[in-house]
Amino acid sequence: MGEKRRSSSKTLAKNKKRKGPHLPNSILKTIANEKRPLNSDEEDDEIHSDGENVDMYEYEEGEPEEESKKNNRYDRVDNYEYELPEDFEDENVESDDDEDGGNSDNEDGEGDDDRHTRMLQDLTGMPSAAFQGESKRRPVLFTEAYPESEFNPTRDVLEGKGLISVEDLLAPLEGKPGFNDLKKRINRMQKDTQSVVHAPLPKPERERLERKAVKGLVEKEFNKWVHLVKRNREAPTVYFNQTVSVGYSTVGAIASEFQPRTEFEKKMASVLNDNELGEAHKEDGAKLLELNEVSMEDHIKYRDHIAKMRSLLFRHELKSKRIKKIKSKTYHRLKGKDLKKSAMGALMDPEMAKEEAIKQETRRVEERMTLKHKNTGKWAKRMLSRGLNERYDGTRAAISEQLQINATLSRKMNSTNDGSSSDESDDEEELSCGSDLDTPSKLIAKAREKTLKTVEDDEVPNSGLLSLPFMARAMKKKNEEVNEEAKRAFEEYEELENSGGAENPRKSADVSGRRVFGATSKVEAPKESKKDSDNFYDNSDSDNDMEGIENNDLVAVGDTASPARNTGAITEAEKLDDDVENPASKTTFDVALFASGSWKKMKGYQNAESKKPPKTHKPISKGQDKKESRDEESEDSESEAEQMVDGILTSASKETYEIPSQAELIQRAFAGDDVVDEFEKDKQEVLNQEVPEPEKPVLVPGWGQWTNIQRKRGLPSWMVREHEDAKKKRKLDLKTRKDYRLRNVIISEKADKKADKLHTTTLPFPYTSKEVFEHSMRMPIGPEFNPATIVGALNRPEVVKKAGVIIKPVKFEEVNPNEKVDDENPRSHQKQRPKKGSKTSKGQSKIKSKLKTKA
Amino acid sequence: MEISSKDNNLMEKVLPPVEQESDVELETTVKKYLRGEGANLETLKDKKLKTQLTSREKLYGKSAKAAAKIEKWLLPAEAGYLETEGLEKTWRVKQTDIANEVDILSSRNQYDIVLPDFGPYKLDFTASGRHMLAGGRKGHLALLDMMNMSLIKEIQVRETVRDVAFLHNEQFFAAAQKKYAYIYGRDGTELHCLKERGPVARLRFLKNHFLLASVNKSGQLHYQDVTHGGMVASIRTGKGRTDVMEVNPYNGVVALGHSGGTVTMWKPTSQAPLVQMQCHPGPVSSVAFHPNGHLMATSGKERKIKIWDLRKFEEVQTIHSFHAKTLSFSQKGLLAAGTGSFVQILGDSSGGSSHNYSRYMNHSMVKGYQIEKLMFRPYEDVIGIGHSMGWSSILIPGSGEPNFDSWVANPFETSKQRREKEVHSLLDKLPPETIMLDPSKIGAMRPSRRKEKPSRGEIEAEKEVAIEAAKSTELKNKTKGRNKPSKRTKKKKEMVENAKRTFPEQEHNTALKKRRIGEDAAAELPASLKRFARKN
Repeated sequence: MGEKRRSSSKTLAKNKKRKGPHLPNSILKTIANEKRPLNSDEEDDEIHSDGENVDMYEYEEGEPEEESKKNNRYDRVDNYEYELPEDFEDENVESDDDEDGGNSDNEDGEGDDDRHTRMLQDLTGMPSAAFQGESKRRPVLFTEAYPESEFNPTRDVLEGKGLISVEDLLAPLEGKPGFNDLKKRINRMQKDTQSVVHAPLPKPERERLERKAVKGLVEKEFNKWVHLVKRNREAPTVYFNQTVSVGYSTVGAIASEFQPRTEFEKKMASVLNDNELGEAHKEDGAKLLELNEVSMEDHIKYRDHIAKMRSLLFRHELKSKRIKKIKSKTYHRLKGKDLKKSAMGALMDPEMAKEEAIKQETRRVEERMTLKHKNTGKWAKRMLSRGLNERYDGTRAAISEQLQINATLSRKMNSTNDGSSSDESDDEEELSCGSDLDTPSKLIAKAREKTLKTVEDDEVPNSGLLSLPFMARAMKKKNEEVNEEAKRAFEEYEELENSGGAENPRKSADVSGRRVFGATSKVEAPKESKKDSDNFYDNSDSDNDMEGIENNDLVAVGDTASPARNTGAITEAEKLDDDVENPASKTTFDVALFASGSWKKMKGYQNAESKKPPKTHKPISKGQDKKESRDEESEDSESEAEQMVDGILTSASKETYEIPSQAELIQRAFAGDDVVDEFEKDKQEVLNQEVPEPEKPVLVPGWGQWTNIQRKRGLPSWMVREHEDAKKKRKLDLKTRKDYRLRNVIISEKADKKADKLHTTTLPFPYTSKEVFEHSMRMPIGPEFNPATIVGALNRPEVVKKAGVIIKPVKFEEVNPNEKVDDENPRSHQKQRPKKGSKTSKGQSKIKSKLKTKA
Repeated sequence: MEISSKDNNLMEKVLPPVEQESDVELETTVKKYLRGEGANLETLKDKKLKTQLTSREKLYGKSAKAAAKIEKWLLPAEAGYLETEGLEKTWRVKQTDIANEVDILSSRNQYDIVLPDFGPYKLDFTASGRHMLAGGRKGHLALLDMMNMSLIKEIQVRETVRDVAFLHNEQFFAAAQKKYAYIYGRDGTELHCLKERGPVARLRFLKNHFLLASVNKSGQLHYQDVTHGGMVASIRTGKGRTDVMEVNPYNGVVALGHSGGTVTMWKPTSQAPLVQMQCHPGPVSSVAFHPNGHLMATSGKERKIKIWDLRKFEEVQTIHSFHAKTLSFSQKGLLAAGTGSFVQILGDSSGGSSHNYSRYMNHSMVKGYQIEKLMFRPYEDVIGIGHSMGWSSILIPGSGEPNFDSWVANPFETSKQRREKEVHSLLDKLPPETIMLDPSKIGAMRPSRRKEKPSRGEIEAEKEVAIEAAKSTELKNKTKGRNKPSKRTKKKKEMVENAKRTFPEQEHNTALKKRRIGEDAAAELPASLKRFARKN
């Protein structure tokens, strides 16, 4: 197609700018469409001609070029698009011809087109090139397909070519009234370029600009505070000591200002300020009585009130009497129920409280025994195993409720049942006391006695809940049961006595024939304990004989314990049995423990003894030696010193005699001592102590000496390296010591722990460098070290405030940034508002000053 | 020749004050009162701190200036001096010459007290110089008021007295006697017998710390707090017997001179000496400290006096061929050395920082007198000489501080002032820990110390370094399928793990421990209660 176009352009026109295809397709298309409305008269012709044109083109130039495209659908569309421009070009050709002077008219020889263009020209009255060229430059979209009218301006108008300008429109109006006005307005409008509204900026950019502007404003506002803030920050002392009247100083002053406001206050004030009353009070009490008149109404009201109260009281009394008379048990029961329902009832009635407590206790025991509510139930277990907790709120709630019940039930009630618990504990104590001394058989005997006692004295309470007939019956039944249990227990005990074996407990447990639920746990428990014990005695050799006993005991314990766990209620006998069994087993356990422990100890002791002597002996002897030697030394030194002193004394006395040579004398005097050498040795010692020499790397015997090669190789390299490093470090440490260069001085660098508290470990807050801090500390600030004139300034606190002065928020105030902080002239950081009276006072002062000047 | 004793204003030459000179003078005194320079505040980044510190420095400057001005204009007396003309030498000036020139009050300070029976006398002055204590070897103790030259109390203890020392004021004094040391009251009543110390050789009192330091015959150093009587420290010096002991007035460090020629310095809070110095090849016969604490003078039996700078622990000067049995520094820095019956006063001729002591004055007493103790009297140009035949007093112009500070010591103290001062000094009592070589370091940062145990942060850092090192190690190119990427990563992971393992994690351990404890508790429960154990 492009080629085709080129060819046509070559043939038709030299002017390149008139080439249609330079335009975007869509525009061309629209332009082409636009023609139709433009020359609406010849619509049909147009279309027809179009069709003809197409045909014609195909005929003329339907050559391989067309085929070379090899396009199908898309091509067709393309073609369609480009066809119109073809049309257009034809027009152009025409127009070009017009412009050029009809050179190419004949050449083209396309009659239809010529005619068409000519017709167009005639219709519009302007050269076709005009709108052609414009369309090229400024594409305008035409979407409407309406005929031209004042509401649908032509393309030319829209293109702004000024085909129809405002002036054009105005022209016909000229001379009509109001024309001048209109013209003026239009002129103004044309001049006014500002009214043109530009497109708004993108949002982020706009916001950025806004922020910038706001920032500037805010900064300006804040910057004026900077100096003030800086001054306050850097001031060594901030003063809030402006004299402010705090208010009234005396109670009288405060009272005098009092204004009654409320009703009551006003009433009081009227009474207080009543002169008559005051006088009466002053003179005599009698007159007060006169003044204190009571109105008749008040009196009647009072009397009625009293009467009402009395009658109420009387009625209440009657009622209570009647209630007391009622003998119906049902009534009282119901009443009691009511009372029970209300928590207060329990508190009120001690008996009821006791009952309640007993019930609570039984429930608690039950709960503790069965653990019914502690997710042990089938349902709860299943729920838990399924993990439905989270999915269903209902189950979850139910489970939590159960747990809650468990908690409430198994909660221990401290206040209730004190006596019994103490009894129990007493018993236990007794038992435990006995257990240390008595044999198990004795204990069992004791228990038997006790149980007998309990069985015998069946106290039937005469009052309360237990006194009711059905309760009594229940009690009887229970007692019988208990008695049976006790008897059984005694039988067991006798059997045990008869057999005397250690294994009997188990048997007896079996004999008792109670249901056993936790069989597995029963087996496990002893195992565990056994394990524990095994672990415990692992290292002692005495296990074998001990274990047997322990096992038996432990098993027994387990057996006796487990049924107790499983039965719903514990009878006392059983309890006692348990108690009896437990201490016994415990004692044996303890004994075993002790025995093994002692065994171990013995062993250890022996070992220690066998090992120690060679080791310990040496140090002691060494120490002794050392001590001795030291003592000797010290003695020696002392004696030496004494001798020396003597020598000195003598020498001092001899000094009067002239001794030939000084040096000789000195040499002779100090012949024996090599003081300097000794000192050096001392120094070395001290250094070794304070900066210890690294230990020489030593191989653990047997390690790294397996083969000859290893032995030859010597120490591993890392050991050697470590040693070298330590040595280097020591050297460095020695070098950093103060006495490194001083041969005749040893300066101890031991840290004094007691003096630690005199130093700071960290820098105090505002300081960041040690040097600055220490320099700031160099000057003492006390009155002993400074002239009295400066001490105050040196020790002034950071804030000086008068008592009672309210510290107000900081107010803006012009501050000279170059002003130096002057501590000597205290400057208030709080400006008080000038009072109303200040003006007058100022005036007065002015007058005064004037007077002064005059004087 | 001109002589001036400080209380004597007659001989003073009043020079017209030259402005510039005074300025220079003032500047030096200001420098003295500034106690060193301030830190360089330019390096500070914190502006607030900077301004605060600059204002502080300004205040310090003002304070120093005010102090300097006070010193210049308000301090009444001037130090005495001995001025020679032409060929005259100061050491040729004799006491008789001085006596002729000075006023009557000063001339009263030249005297000899002859007490031949009670043997060589030890002397001690109170801090104010008002009172003197003389202790004769043979048991004579005398307390004197030097202002009006009156004897306050005199007692005979009938025992050997080795040393005497005043406590904080003249109301109490201690005497080292044959077997024990005793504390006496002003009226001579025995207040305490200090049995713990054994036979004491030397006694010294540390004013600011209220400690009575003593060294006994077996070379043990004791510090006893005289306020509550508790023994603060008892230290075995391990250097044998010594009777040379002096206190550094600047820091309260006690120096002992030993027979081996070493001088050791001690503080009550450490059993080891702070400093050991090999000063002399032979026994040290005496030690003295300059009042500013920077200079120490030692004398050895090998006839040498050495002056040491204690800031550097270096020898400053050696004075040859003079054996001093006793040494003493005056308040103004004159050094007195006495031996036999001869006293030599050395003066710092340079006057500045480079200490150059040379002969200033001589005094020789009657032949046969053996000097036992020399001590300058504070705030007076007088030196007291305790010797075998009693004690003497001579004038040394320019030795004493002319102006006393009543905050420090007041020779004209009334009894009320004394009581007041006693209370104040007790309130200001320093704990024994404050005795250290450089007391100006109190309140400063703690000197860095080598750490025994690395902190957690350090361990973490080390761990990170180790892990990094493990990560960055290059693996060898292996063969036979061992160079697979998977193998390499595995190997690397292993290395990192190994690196981590060398640093045990503390928190983890504690958590484990806790759990273990819980388990144990469960295991220990009796079988019947096991079901109540918490299930994990």
